[in-house]
Amino acid sequence: MELKLEEFSRCLDMPATTIERWIRQGRIPVKRLGNTCIFSDTAIRKWAEDHNLHYHSPGEKQCEDRSEKLETLTEAMDRGGVYYDIPGSSVEEVLDAAVSRMQNIETHEDRQVLYDSLVAREQMMSTGIGNGVAIPHPRTPLSRKGIPAQIAACFPEKPVDYNAVDKKPVHALFILVAKTSNEHLHLLSRISYCLRDHEFLGLLSEIPRPETLRNKIAEFDEHLNGRC
Amino acid sequence: MFSGWKIWRNPGRTVWFRLDDRLLLIFLGAVVGICAGVAAVCLNRGLIAMFETLSGLKNYWWVFVVPGAGAALSSVFLEKLMKEGAGHGVPEVVYSVSRHGGLLRLRSAFSRLISSCLTIGTGGSAGPEAPVVISGASIGSNIAQAFSLNERQRIALVGCGSAGALAAIFNAPITGMVFTIEIILGEWSALTIVPVAVASVAGAQISRLLQGNQIAFTHLRFDVDVTTTLAAVGLALVTAAVSIALTHTLRYSHHVSDKVALPVWMRAFIGGCMVGGIGLMLPQVLGEGYHSIQEMVEGAFAEGLGLVVLLVIAKIVATSFTLGWGGSGGIFAPCLVIGSFAGLTYHRFVEFLWPGVSWVNEGCFALLGMAGLVSGILQAPLTGIFLIVEVTGGYETILPLILVSALSTTVCHAWEPASFYLKDLMERGHYLRPRTDAKVLADLSIGELVEKDCITVQPDMKLGDFIKVIQQSHRNYFPVLDPETGGLEGMIHLDDIRPYLFDPLLYETVFLEQIMQRDVETVDIHEELADVLDKMDARGLFSMPVVSNRRFVGMISKATLLDRYRHELIVQT
Repeated sequence: MELKLEEFSRCLDMPATTIERWIRQGRIPVKRLGNTCIFSDTAIRKWAEDHNLHYHSPGEKQCEDRSEKLETLTEAMDRGGVYYDIPGSSVEEVLDAAVSRMQNIETHEDRQVLYDSLVAREQMMSTGIGNGVAIPHPRTPLSRKGIPAQIAACFPEKPVDYNAVDKKPVHALFILVAKTSNEHLHLLSRISYCLRDHEFLGLLSEIPRPETLRNKIAEFDEHLNGRC
Repeated sequence: MFSGWKIWRNPGRTVWFRLDDRLLLIFLGAVVGICAGVAAVCLNRGLIAMFETLSGLKNYWWVFVVPGAGAALSSVFLEKLMKEGAGHGVPEVVYSVSRHGGLLRLRSAFSRLISSCLTIGTGGSAGPEAPVVISGASIGSNIAQAFSLNERQRIALVGCGSAGALAAIFNAPITGMVFTIEIILGEWSALTIVPVAVASVAGAQISRLLQGNQIAFTHLRFDVDVTTTLAAVGLALVTAAVSIALTHTLRYSHHVSDKVALPVWMRAFIGGCMVGGIGLMLPQVLGEGYHSIQEMVEGAFAEGLGLVVLLVIAKIVATSFTLGWGGSGGIFAPCLVIGSFAGLTYHRFVEFLWPGVSWVNEGCFALLGMAGLVSGILQAPLTGIFLIVEVTGGYETILPLILVSALSTTVCHAWEPASFYLKDLMERGHYLRPRTDAKVLADLSIGELVEKDCITVQPDMKLGDFIKVIQQSHRNYFPVLDPETGGLEGMIHLDDIRPYLFDPLLYETVFLEQIMQRDVETVDIHEELADVLDKMDARGLFSMPVVSNRRFVGMISKATLLDRYRHELIVQT
């Protein structure tokens, strides 16, 4: 196989200068002509294995994609959905009703796991962050196959006493499910950014239509993307 | 498909040789061994011819000038014509193997042969072995270059050349191998030993074909008993002391000659004349001195204790004048001569102390003395043992031989850890053996380790803007660069400014140049990694900025270094 030195050094995830030196010193079974490396794919794979180095063939995608693309709120909310008139007068009842209505959860068992995990988190400390909004989320990221990462916006029938920090009853819940703690932090930071906006808080208290909510969230996303 | 010419130039590309270069190295090793053997035979023949031509002059009173003229010619040839410094040859080969992957100039293949022929042939006290070693090594290196081999293969061929040459000049194949592995390569692995062994055989064989299978010093049969083995302990101390004396005299003589404000050839001339002067009174010190060794080994050396002691001193002085003042040649042969004189001295001395004991023939002590001195000077015990066994064809002395070599090496090593060959290299940090920490550090360059993914900031940036930069970065260090020149103005470390980060009042009022560290210790991209690590350790730093021509290039950190160091170590072993 023939590859350019730079491409070959990417396959081994080492600097080109190091690879160049190894070839010169004869430490790696590669022959070099000008800027081209000549080698056998199987021989290099074996060599890399023997020397504790990672090697992936030029066509092969790297298994760990380091710059994992993080989702926007809109994507997560599209998956989660918007639900109105959630019945219940206590935290548990509201969460139970909300979880049972969430569309993107596969089995009954998955629902039970999510509900238990949400309640466990509430028992630690309320997720009511004030201004009538709560962000219920599992204690630890859920990596169950049946529960994709999502944000479900739920509006109860009547405001619920949620034991929030400002003691105000809650009229909007964003149930946040993430697969990894990184994703969790990312989505949580985005949503809390939105919730600092007075206009948005006002909108939530009026119980907006799904389209209105989505447009507003998309606006925030755009703003946040532009800032990064 | 490649044309025939390309395969010839690049044998590593053919399927056969690419799969496994062992075959290639064995084949080329044999070729290099033969060439090196021929070079050794040439030098040997040249020396004999020179002796024969000049022997007619020995009755003239001005004969002492001849070694001077020889040394001067040799120095002019080497310094002016070839532009190579006078040296022993072996340190140059070790240096090239350590630092430049065995790269040697083609002219080294013959320059030392001619210059040493001039020096030794006219009576200078030096040996032909080191010139032959560098010549063989250079042949190996150039053959490797002609075939575009890589450094590992080139170093193996350099070893092949040195082994072939030494095997040919002494007709001693094991010595050639052992010397190469012990001194030149410093690596005991089957991959290198095999081609070196083949080259040794090739070199010795070609020498036997051209000059007949003769052993350098034939000896009488020695009846070695337990008293000899015990006496060997004392002899080891004597040879160690003489080795140390020789090393110091040589170095001192180098030192003195460096201070003399005369042209190089003039210094060589003076040194040579001094040797000639000594030679007028004690002709045994002249030349390589193998004739005297032969006499001693046979037990036919008649001179008494006093004269033998004088000869030891005279030979040391003559060798120092030859090599220290600009003559060209090796230290091997003088070592053998001085060693046999020392052995003889010791024998005469113990005979005088305990006249009742029946001592073994004095020739045996001459052998042991040679082994002791070679081992002591080179600090290579195996080379000493095998050389003596092979050049005398005598295996019966092996027990005291091992003892003398081992003890002499130990004493010399305790006195001065760097052997005569390697002292200069070690002092300059050029002595890098394979698979050692020093070698790994020397191979890794700063350029390979520098991390370029750090975010740089400008001195006039406000703290508030800087907070946004921190949000996007995954590092704790931020180099502050001059926007116009790109030069490093200072560094900001998150630990230093943490208290101010949460004070919004400061966001609009503080500029980075007010809070950055100004006196930042930097590393130049061409610096040696070992020095950089010393710097880091001395100041307790974990990362440092790297600059090239005062422009910022990136950061070097111990974390990356450990990662790369480990990879390098795994790849090298």
